[in-house]
Amino acid sequence: MSLPSLVPLIGVADVVIGLSLGSRLFLIAVGLSLIFGVLGVLNFAHGGFYMLGAYVTLAVVTGLIDNFWIAAVAGALAVGVVGATIEFAAIRPLYDRVDADLDQLIVTFGFVLVIHEAVRFIWGSGSYSIDPPDVFNFSVSLGGSTFSAYRLVVIGLAIAVLAGLWLFITRTYFGSLVRGTSSDREMASMLGVDVPRLYTGVFFLGSVLAGLGGALSAPLQSTSPALGDQVIIDAFIVVVIGGLGSMSGAFVGAMLIGMMQSLGPQFISAGSIAIPFLAMVIVLLFRPEGLFGGIGE
Amino acid sequence: MSATTTAGGRVREFVSAAADGWTRERFGVLGALGLILLAFGPSFQVYLFTDFLVVALFALGFNLLYGYTGLLSFGHGLFYAGGAYGVAIVLRDLGPVFADIVGSGISPLLTFVVGGVVGLALVVGVAVPVGWLSVRLEEIYFALITLAFGMLGYSLIIQDPAGLTNGTDGIIVLLGSVDIGGSSFRIGARRTYYALSVVVVLAATYGAWRVVNSPFGTVCKAIRESPDRASALGIDVRHHRWMTFILSAAIVGIAGVLRAGLAGVASPGLTHWSTSAIAVIATVIGGATYFSGPIVGAFVFLYIRWAISRFPTLEAYWELFFGALLIAVVLYFKQGTVGGLLLLRDRLLGDDGDGGETDAGGDGEAPDGDGDSGGAGATVPDDETRTDRGDDS
Amino acid sequence: MVAGSPDNENKRNRNRDIDAGSESRSPVGRRRFLQAAGAGATVALAGCSGGGGDDVVRLGATYILSGFASLYGEAAERGIEMAQAEINDNGGIDGRDVEVIVRDTEASADTAIQQMRSLVEEDNVHGLFGLDSSGVAQAVAPQAAQLEMPFMITHAATPFVTSPEGEHEDSVGNDYVFRDSNNLTQDIYGAARTAAELDATEWATIGPDYAFGYETWDYFQDFCAGLGVDAEFTAEQFPPLETGDYTPYISSILDAEPDAVLTPLWGADLTTFIGQAEDAGWFDQIDHTLFSVGMGTDLASDGNPLPEGEYASTRYDPFAPDTEANNAFRDAYYEEYDALPTYNAEGAYRAVYLYKEAIESSGSTETSALVDEFTGMEHSGPVGDYRFSETNQATVSSIWGTVTYDDEWESNVLDPVNVYDAGPDVLSEALGDSDLPAGI
Repeated sequence: MSLPSLVPLIGVADVVIGLSLGSRLFLIAVGLSLIFGVLGVLNFAHGGFYMLGAYVTLAVVTGLIDNFWIAAVAGALAVGVVGATIEFAAIRPLYDRVDADLDQLIVTFGFVLVIHEAVRFIWGSGSYSIDPPDVFNFSVSLGGSTFSAYRLVVIGLAIAVLAGLWLFITRTYFGSLVRGTSSDREMASMLGVDVPRLYTGVFFLGSVLAGLGGALSAPLQSTSPALGDQVIIDAFIVVVIGGLGSMSGAFVGAMLIGMMQSLGPQFISAGSIAIPFLAMVIVLLFRPEGLFGGIGE
Repeated sequence: MSATTTAGGRVREFVSAAADGWTRERFGVLGALGLILLAFGPSFQVYLFTDFLVVALFALGFNLLYGYTGLLSFGHGLFYAGGAYGVAIVLRDLGPVFADIVGSGISPLLTFVVGGVVGLALVVGVAVPVGWLSVRLEEIYFALITLAFGMLGYSLIIQDPAGLTNGTDGIIVLLGSVDIGGSSFRIGARRTYYALSVVVVLAATYGAWRVVNSPFGTVCKAIRESPDRASALGIDVRHHRWMTFILSAAIVGIAGVLRAGLAGVASPGLTHWSTSAIAVIATVIGGATYFSGPIVGAFVFLYIRWAISRFPTLEAYWELFFGALLIAVVLYFKQGTVGGLLLLRDRLLGDDGDGGETDAGGDGEAPDGDGDSGGAGATVPDDETRTDRGDDS
Repeated sequence: MVAGSPDNENKRNRNRDIDAGSESRSPVGRRRFLQAAGAGATVALAGCSGGGGDDVVRLGATYILSGFASLYGEAAERGIEMAQAEINDNGGIDGRDVEVIVRDTEASADTAIQQMRSLVEEDNVHGLFGLDSSGVAQAVAPQAAQLEMPFMITHAATPFVTSPEGEHEDSVGNDYVFRDSNNLTQDIYGAARTAAELDATEWATIGPDYAFGYETWDYFQDFCAGLGVDAEFTAEQFPPLETGDYTPYISSILDAEPDAVLTPLWGADLTTFIGQAEDAGWFDQIDHTLFSVGMGTDLASDGNPLPEGEYASTRYDPFAPDTEANNAFRDAYYEEYDALPTYNAEGAYRAVYLYKEAIESSGSTETSALVDEFTGMEHSGPVGDYRFSETNQATVSSIWGTVTYDDEWESNVLDPVNVYDAGPDVLSEALGDSDLPAGI
């Protein structure tokens, strides 16, 4: 049926919502991209890590300590430990295979199934939601529209993470090792870099970021076992558009997709969910290194 | 030309081969007998086996690309859905039209056949451009672009801009009854559909087997072993991959046509990446380097799943089992179930393995075509490059 | 307020606004008779089932037990558990115990069909019931006919499964498929009646992206036209099932500034939506929100209850009708599960009793006997008295009310509640010249 055409209005809320959706995507995508850039592993289970972060946070807040920030940190670290363990036990043995990339993709896909079922086993298949931390649990009205103040916090934290990562990679010794190893692993190894340990470290960091993304999003969305499967596909789109391995690319890609998710329902009634995939295909064909530069920061 | 004599000679040759020890011919005869006997089994078992046949064909089609050219697709659900939607749309929209033209007695069968052909044509029509674009990329990037194409198809089916696919709910597939000369049968009846599936799946499998063992197939294997070397030898790698892509999609499309009739519905979930993943799981579990790998893998996948479903407490967590199995197979035993069966056979038969055997093949399927896995100990001679783990770092 | 009668201090005597004189029936007579007939049948059966060895009545049920709507399946399981315990403690069905095997449809048609086949062919059930999703029901209905097994739908609401094949291009109704709960047509008729009482002209919807979401909106518009409700339809959003973040859709609806919104979101999707709608100031900006069958989620879920003062419907209300059967069921359920029964629990509970009645009355568990019994059957349960219409749809009422928190039950209830008679004649008249089938 046809509706009277509505003049689309972009309100402040639409922008804030888009950026907060983008921030959430950035946190998962940047870890995915970092791991790919350094290790060459496309971690299919990254969505599962994100979901796990949300669940652990929920569990801590509701069961242990009623402090969201402590719970979020606990969630992120727990996911980091899970990630590092998986890297050590199941991904490391594959680095030297001829078709390591695909084997690693398949193994991490195996973990998608395992994590999904483990979450269902522990927390059941229902969905959970929590309120934002009290300090930010109020609504902001701007330009005639209303949104939760917590969204601004998430956007701020995403920008802080981007800045922190950038400083970490460009200004620290560990960061220089990471950069060196990602551009030439053999050379780094010959120069005495403990590559396997570095890899586990990077995988840990990437997993922590995914867990943090899940933790911070827990108050914004409902958390259910389907969450990981939904978000990993968005994350793939983001890293492809931004460039696999590029952190700033992940940020711009995430914000683009976030805005598209926010404004899509108003501008495009049909085709809005198809466009990101179309963009992914086009970028892969014409600029497989992504829109925002190649491997690097 | 004495065709009859040749045919007669062949028959005699076959019979003597079948009588002469555990040859491929004897496995063939036993297999055919088994398929016929199964038709008289309990109704649910017939259904389950039909389901297995369809999933096996799906995985087999997928593995033509993965096992034979080294390209891992995470978007073959697109072609699975293509076949299913092709037949579903024809049945829904053209059924009445055909009934007017040829009469309602035969029209359900005709519509189904036309639907199958349309489904297949649709799949090939999509696979030609999608394959042409996708084979420009390799490895992870190929996996990502096929995933994107699959999900693009999923989005389009859900949003249904052309008003053909009925969105999220999918299209109900009703196969109808055929009346010819007083006798009438339902195409979707359990055993009828089983027979139909057996014929189609065997024919498609045979076709794929012939291609794999043709010069074309040999080139594909050379590409899998080393694309660079193949290209140095003057092989047009991209063109070969493209052709394999189309063939692979077509086989998956046939499986999709059968899926629609079996499930009674063509639903958008068929093109979701999680459906594409079923082919990956079955193939990896079965052993990607063997022609029969995906078939055995599909068998393991469906029957273990069924066995798990008989225990309500476990049923909810069947994915956990397959996730763990997938990880274990990739990490420790890349040859999969077929490799395991071959190893087991060699162990059981001992030294007998080198001489007496004809082509190896767990259950009547030839492994990979080229290799006779003769040599003692070398169970997977043509797979060194893919399973060699090199030094541990 | 809807038909605001102020004398509703006691929930047990709540304001009932039964439209159009409901046909007077005598439920007692038939039941007593059937029980007597059943006793006779027991004797007859005892003779012939001696060698059979199959001394249980086995029923198969398919519900959503995982994913966004698992709370519906869980509620149904409770209803089944209660019915099973009651029946088996009281002599079973003709002396045979009833056993119910519950399977998960995962809200997918493929899975539901597989489970059905397995239940019929592996577990040899005598009858089927269940289904939570309209899309799934639509695909399942033809399969019930192919399997030749009666299917009592207890929740899925699409009118097309009780609209005989051929009536409309989507109709898939057939002899084997019945429904004991109210369907979408009946429910949305009540929505239009509620809308007629409200001071709202611009209407919008936010519904799930599948048959149920679209059908709700289509029927609402046609009922409004048929009933002469002064309404304009200005915005619609259909987010996919299991959307984690409804905010963009919410903000799109808010931008259209409708007076009122009808939403058929359900399960965890509804819970998520309500939380996010509150954050976005939805309930300040939009005068009225109508949650079609919202009580099914509200009573079962532990987060984000329906906001008080908005409108919601249910397929069964724990307080209306105020009959002995309903009060006893509600109290027993509350005692056992510490929550008010949802319509899904009641629908499943009643399905087991429907099978009991059909089996006892025909003295057989044969498909043809059960189908014959269900066809045109008159029955009575917690939901009230009803019969199965010509299209196998139960002639139960449409129930809409105002969401109110009740301290005694520590739960939201509908108060005041309006019970609209929604039989075949009422609906086809209210649909006016719409080409949509009434499904009854």
